Order: sequence, then structure tokens, then C-alpha cells
Amino acid sequence: MLIQQNLSLQEKLRILTDAAKYDVACTSSGVARKGKAGMVGNTAEAGICHSFSADGRCISLLKILFTNQCIYDCKYCINRSSNDTLRTAFTPDEVCRLTMEFYRRNYIEGLFLSSGILHNANYTMEQIYQTVYSLRTEHRFNGYIHIKAIPGADEELIERIGFLSDRMSVNLELPTTQGLKNLAPGKTRDKILRPMRQIQRGIFRQQKLLEELSGERKRLDGRGRAGFTGGASLFRPDKVSPSLLEGADSGKTFPDQGFYAPSFLGREQRFVPAGQSTQMIVGATPENDYQMMKVTEALYQSYGLKRVFFSAFVRVNEDSSLPALPGGPPLLREHRLYQADWLLRFYGFQADELLTEDKPDFNVFLDPKCDWALRHLELFPVEVNRAEYQTLLRVPGIGVKSAGRILAARRNGALDFATLKKLGVVLKRAVYFITCSGRMEQGTRLDQDFITSCLIGDERRKNWDISHQDSYRQLSLFHDMKLEAEPTGEDKVAAVFGDM
Amino acid sequence: MTVYICEDSLDGILCGVYDAWMSRKGHAQVKLQLDGWFEQELFTEYLTVPREMEKAEKVVKSIRQKISEEAYEKVYVASLSQDPDRADKIYRFLIYGFHFGKKVVDMLQIPAVFQLFQMCRNVYNENHLLIEFIRFSQITDRNLMFSRIAPKNRVLSLLAPHFSDRFPGERWMIYDENRQEAAVYLPGRGWAILQPDPAMRREIDNWQTDSREYEDLWKIFHGTIAIKERFNPKCQRNHLPLRFRGYMTEFQ
Repeated sequence: MLIQQNLSLQEKLRILTDAAKYDVACTSSGVARKGKAGMVGNTAEAGICHSFSADGRCISLLKILFTNQCIYDCKYCINRSSNDTLRTAFTPDEVCRLTMEFYRRNYIEGLFLSSGILHNANYTMEQIYQTVYSLRTEHRFNGYIHIKAIPGADEELIERIGFLSDRMSVNLELPTTQGLKNLAPGKTRDKILRPMRQIQRGIFRQQKLLEELSGERKRLDGRGRAGFTGGASLFRPDKVSPSLLEGADSGKTFPDQGFYAPSFLGREQRFVPAGQSTQMIVGATPENDYQMMKVTEALYQSYGLKRVFFSAFVRVNEDSSLPALPGGPPLLREHRLYQADWLLRFYGFQADELLTEDKPDFNVFLDPKCDWALRHLELFPVEVNRAEYQTLLRVPGIGVKSAGRILAARRNGALDFATLKKLGVVLKRAVYFITCSGRMEQGTRLDQDFITSCLIGDERRKNWDISHQDSYRQLSLFHDMKLEAEPTGEDKVAAVFGDM
Repeated sequence: MTVYICEDSLDGILCGVYDAWMSRKGHAQVKLQLDGWFEQELFTEYLTVPREMEKAEKVVKSIRQKISEEAYEKVYVASLSQDPDRADKIYRFLIYGFHFGKKVVDMLQIPAVFQLFQMCRNVYNENHLLIEFIRFSQITDRNLMFSRIAPKNRVLSLLAPHFSDRFPGERWMIYDENRQEAAVYLPGRGWAILQPDPAMRREIDNWQTDSREYEDLWKIFHGTIAIKERFNPKCQRNHLPLRFRGYMTEFQ
């Protein structure tokens, strides 16, 4: 390991950004906080992206590693201890300066600090704590802070950091125990899930305490700051599992003396107000989409996560246990997983509805919602002027926003296809599945083959763009990207001998 | 047909609404147009509407009472739009607004309401993009954070509240090149929109920024964070249109 001490700030930033870039989460959402006099910054509920890098990903936070030195040797990771790369570390002061100066120029929304593990988990976590502590107190920073919790660190440290940051995350990396064992020999699933559970309990307990403190009598259902809040849980209360209701504390009792923020922050300071997230690598191990979705669903339901991120595997290390990916990272698969993730969180779908053991992978030609709708044509067409919110949400081409607008607009009179288009409904897809005042659009049939071939043309063009980025394609006037069968052997023979 | 020519501001447009409405010529017989945005037509009478605060205030009061606060906000935002017909579109919206009352904002089936909704969406979208993409730089010897933008819609008055909440302790200025207006904020004194005179504008053009240090660091960060295996300039362009890039540190 080559450790360099006297690097310039530029060099350090280059190395530690490069080492952090494979982490996906760069969101600054989940907490709305007004600016305060004497402090710098505020946060927006929906988050704010500040730039987009050449790969099209958003840059919202200053995403850096504290150090890229690491004691672990995870095979997929660019910072694995056996890699011969230049190693360095920031000082807490450097991180604060970068954050503050970038923030006041409106480059970023806040800081996302992760780290390789230097010496041990506690030592690293302590360094991170010092950084955020000085950022919040000395530099009076009121913007967004996302901290990666390091598995194996003391509970007390994680708790202290939780009060200073907005979001915390622990990366699950691989969905199964077996995968983790193969690729990340230093980590175990149990070790990763422990801080996740701790943060979940912290959020839950504090919510309870704050509600008692302020005398609020809101319905306490444990959904607070979980991924379903404001989304699917509104119309599907069954999605909130009992363990979420009890703050994942089945049977055990809390030591009830204070779960309060340290006094310098004030008692009202919230613990991880933007909730926690995690990420999984897609395509490094042989797990199928069904397994990924089941794990994702479990994380939302019983760990109350706010987001699960997916990261298409990029082969940065040469290792025999890693898959070779000649076609580049599995971007389409990642895309499908995100589509399904939205269906879970906002549309009230369940993993078992989208995929099954027999059909464990997503359709490459169709997005998961269209795919589901085509397999359930018995539920369609849906009458737009009468259907309930959750039924509307299940129609391909109708999303959360347009469903809301439909509900508001139809109170004042019947809707037709032209109006739906104005409301933001993607008629290209929705038209096969809806009726307006009892009528389907002319020329459409509720027929699986017909709809599939119509939908697939568009979808194929889009998929082609995802997998052949930045290149061009010969357009065809006939059957451009429609579903067509390859010519059979007989066809070829017939073509050669001219008996068409 | 009578065309009421109003000044390009919320007050100006509302005065036009007042005059057109009170003329009792019938809604089909009147039209609102902005000063300097139209070509003269035959058989049309042109009346210039003077800006009188009383009239504008009367209209504002009735919008807030008879329609809703939400509708008032929509009308205000629509008046910032880049649409050359915004004055007339606001008038058409108000006709339905005074007829239906509060629920009008949801009645997107009505073309007049939908047009207002579209204008607002356009303004809000651009405002949001600028909240993201504005880049401040520090002006030498002035203790001032300065940003230059060229928005299509007149969004300064929507941007200013966001940045005064965010940077309560900074002195900052956002300069709209297209309209030659500036939003200026001073700590403790709040923000205001100013129209700099030509001399001031020349001075603004000559301002030098200092501390290249952090600008260079930001460029390094921006270049390094991209994963080359995922290179996708089309996606980048969708999210970050080229017209903003000339004003952004990382693309300079």
C-alpha cells in the first residue's frame, strides 16, 4: 500500500473523489429545513441536484471518501487493500473547508462522507464524527449531510453522528449471505444489518419521544421517514409490517432514560431526519431480479428504509471470482430494478406481483408495469372518470402526479383522451388500458399480442439507447424495432430458390 | 375589437384586466396585449392602459377574495412567464376564475385554465433549474457573491427568496442578462430587485472574480466523479441543457 502524506488538496480531492464515485446515492431529499440566522444553508424536501456529470448522474452532494485506505479486501471494490493504488486521507479541516466553500458558491447541496476503514471501524467513525461536528458547530453549516455508517463501529458513535447528520446509510452491497461471503470476506450480513437496525430504532424512539414532548397526538404508526411514507402506505396500510409498527423492537424494552440529542444541539434536534438508505450491486453475483426485489421489499417493510439504491456492477478489479461483462455494466437491468423500486414505494405493488420464482427476471422488452398489466388484462380497461386512485395508479402511463390531477379534474366534468394528454398521462401506453366515459380510443383492442407489439416498438428503441449510449442507429421505415421473428431456415431456402 | 395595451408587469396587466372588464364591451370584444409585443391590425382600436395602483389593487383583492390565494399566486407566476400573450391568457383565466371561484385551478379541461397552468409550470421549471445551476463567484475587493444568468422567464423574484433563506449571512447578487435586472441581498436588510443604469452595468461587466482555487477544485471534482464505463452525454444533456452551461463554473 502506497501512502502519500504530502499531497496537495487538488491531488487528494482527485484521488478521494475517484474512490467514492461508485457509491450511487447522491440524493439530498427527505428533510425540509429552513435557514437559520447565523448559520449557512437550508435543505429542500425533494432535494436539489446541482450539476450532472458526463455519465448523466446527478451531483447533489460533495461525494468523497475520508480516506481510501482500507483494511478490508472486498473483491468488487476499487479501494480493496490488495490494490496497489495511491492512498491518502483528508483532515477534518480540509473536508469542512471544501464543503463550506463549495456550498456558498451553490455548487453542492451538502456533504456525503464515506470512508475506507483505517485501522478499525471505531477509529474511522471517530474521524468522521470530528468532521461533521466541526462542520455543524464551528462552521455553522445547516445544509445536508449524508454519512455512511461503518459496520462494526460502536453504537454510541453511530448515535452521536446520527444527531448531526440528515441521512445515514449502510451498504448491503450484495443481497445474499452467500454473495457477501464470496466477494467481501471481511463482512458478514449480520454485521451490516446491525447498525441498520440501530438507526431504525433510533429514528423510531426519537419520533415517539418528540411526539410525547410536544404533546402531538399524531397517529403513531412507525412509518415515519420510511420509504412508503406519503406513497404506497397511504392506500395500502397492510404494507407496513408489524415490525415497523413496533420500531423493530418485538419483545425488548428500551432503557427509557433519554434518547435525546446532545445539549449543544438542543433537544429538538432530530435523529437522522431524512431516514436511512442502502445500496446493492447489480450483476456482480448470480442473484436474479426476484431475489433482489424480495430483499428490497423486506428492507422497506421491516427496516423502514427510505431508499434502496442499485448500482450496476463495474469491473474495476481483475479477479477470477468477478463476472466478466463484455457488454459493459448491466445498465438495463439496473434501470428495470429502479422502475420496480418505484412501483413498490409509490404504486402499492408487491415484489410477488411483479416477479415469481418461475419467472425471476424482468422482461427486457417491457417495463415492469406494462409487463404486469399485460399479464392481467382481465383487470382492464379502467374507466378514468370513475376508477379509484389505486386502480388508476396501476394503469401503465399514469403516474402519481397525473393520477392526482385526474382526481382533481374529474370532479368538474368528464375527461376525454385529449384532456388526459394535457394532464400529463402518457397516452402512448395508457391508451390500451383505459376508457373515457365508457369508450376506448378508436383502433385499440384489448388483446395481448396487439398491445405487446405496439408497446414493444417504443420500448425497444429506448432500450437500444440505454445499451448503446452515444451512438447512432439506421432508422427503418418499415417495422422500426417492432417485434418480428427471425427468418426461419425454410424462409431462407425459399428466398434462395425464389419460390416466395 | 378593442386592444388594451398594458405595461409588462403584474400591476400593468391587472390594470389592463380592470379596464377591459369595466369597459363592458364583452369578453369576446376585448383583448390584452403587452406594450411592444404586437403588430397593429386593421379595424382595431388600441387603448394604452396607464398603470394605476388603485385599479391593480382592486383586482388583486377580488382575486384573493372571490377566487383564492392559490389563484393569485398562479396569476403572479404567469405574469413572469416568457409567453408573449401572457396578459391576455391571464385575462381569459380570470373570466373563468370569477365564474367558478376557488375550484377553477383544478379545472384543467378548460383551455384557458390549462394555458395558465402551462405558463406556471414553465416558469416554475425554469426557476427550479436555476436554483440548481446558479453558480456564485466571489468578486475581488467587494465581499460580494455574484452570479450571472440568462433565463427565458423573469424568475428573479422567485429565486431571491430561496437564496436569502439559504445564505442569510452573505452579500449576494444575481444578474439577469436578458432583462438587465439584478436581485441583490444584504444581510439583515433582505432582498430587492434593481435595474442598474448603463454605467453600473458596465461596471458589473468588468468585475473580476478571485479565488480561482475553489473553482479549480470544483472542476476537478466534477470531472472525476463521472464513471467512464457509464458515459452518457445524452442523459447529461437532458438534465442539464446546454444553454445553462455557459454560465456554470464547471463548463467554463
